[in-house]
Amino acid sequence: MDAPTLTLLLKGAGVSLALALTSTALATVLGAALTALGFSRFAALRALYRLYVYVVRGTPLLVLALLIFYALPALDLRTGPYVAGVLVLTLYVGALFAEVFRGGVLAIPRPQWESAKSLGLPPAAMLKRVIAPLVVRYTLPPYINVCVMTVKASSVLSIISVWELTLAAREIIERTLAVFTVLGVAAALYFIMCFGLDRLGRRLERRLMARGFAGEPG
Amino acid sequence: MTYLGWVTTYGPTYLDALGWTAVIAVLASVGAIVWGCALLLVRLAGGRWGARAVDAYVQVFRNTPVLLPIYLIYFGFPLVGLPWPAAVCGGLALVLQNGAYVSEILRGSFKAIDRVQFDAAKSIGLSPWSAFRKVVLPQVLVYSIPSLGNQVVLLLKDTSLLSAITVTELTMQAKLLTEQTGAAYEAFAVVAVLYLVLVAGAEALFRAAQRAVRWSR
Repeated sequence: MDAPTLTLLLKGAGVSLALALTSTALATVLGAALTALGFSRFAALRALYRLYVYVVRGTPLLVLALLIFYALPALDLRTGPYVAGVLVLTLYVGALFAEVFRGGVLAIPRPQWESAKSLGLPPAAMLKRVIAPLVVRYTLPPYINVCVMTVKASSVLSIISVWELTLAAREIIERTLAVFTVLGVAAALYFIMCFGLDRLGRRLERRLMARGFAGEPG
Repeated sequence: MTYLGWVTTYGPTYLDALGWTAVIAVLASVGAIVWGCALLLVRLAGGRWGARAVDAYVQVFRNTPVLLPIYLIYFGFPLVGLPWPAAVCGGLALVLQNGAYVSEILRGSFKAIDRVQFDAAKSIGLSPWSAFRKVVLPQVLVYSIPSLGNQVVLLLKDTSLLSAITVTELTMQAKLLTEQTGAAYEAFAVVAVLYLVLVAGAEALFRAAQRAVRWSR
């Protein structure tokens, strides 16, 4: 493989990582908002949450991607493929994060709620000082799993012509027919990103655990 | 054209595509479970190097997107003299990828089997192969039913990626109809509902399997 091809693939990997990281950041916010919706006082909002999660988890990412790809121009929103790509990943991963966070909230032992309430903490302070730290503590491992999944899922965006690692690889293959080397290098780059992210997450977990922060519920 | 009008006009054209998605998903699921069992056997009986090879295989497939094996087989096999149809290439890629996950699921269930059973199998004179086939495998599969159900649902959704290699399954059909009729919402809403129905069907099937094995015990 010549140097320009390798540079192209490396650039594609950078784009994939940037797409995944931007989307996970936005999806974390969306997921938190959705979780709040899921615990709402109003049955209609809770039903809305369930419907959103059910539909997003029950349909392929590609269907959502194609719908947004075809629908955005129809809505006359002039966005580039990257904005559309980040939007698709955010909407999808947001639902996964919401389920992860929901699990974390449900794992909070009852006495924690009661003592927070009995201390007279206002709701905002209760969320910030009691609930959020506990949820972060409980959900770090599945959260990291979803982050790794996002890097892999970003490859689907290549089908709606977002230029990233998989599309770069496909373009080179169609030009040069060097199928095995190009896909081998692309796979190695994905492996480094995903495996690296996984290891980073485990390290973070261990460090937080050393400070008595992360660990099993209870 | 109203939404209902669109659905009644173009709805029937989805039937072939629905059949393709269902057939590919069912065959690839069976293939992935068989391949996962084979990987488990190699892990258990293949010595230290067998276990290492399976570990490496699982790590590679867990940390790369499924589109890569799909492209590898679809674009690569013709170069080595195997011009298989696109649906077969895509199905094989799904089997290889999901087999890795299945083998991890089965490995988790294997740990739940009481060690005493291996001694019991040996003491009644079962060969290691018979013990695997008649004692280990049935229990491992039964323990794994819920997780295998999840994996099959993921595989079912991943069949949509085969539209990238010209297989006319559901997603491809929606894409074609969108380009023909210009109705993106209608085309993809129908497909989304069909996927939701297929996913619900797969989940119901595995719940029924779970209930069936509970009765037999």
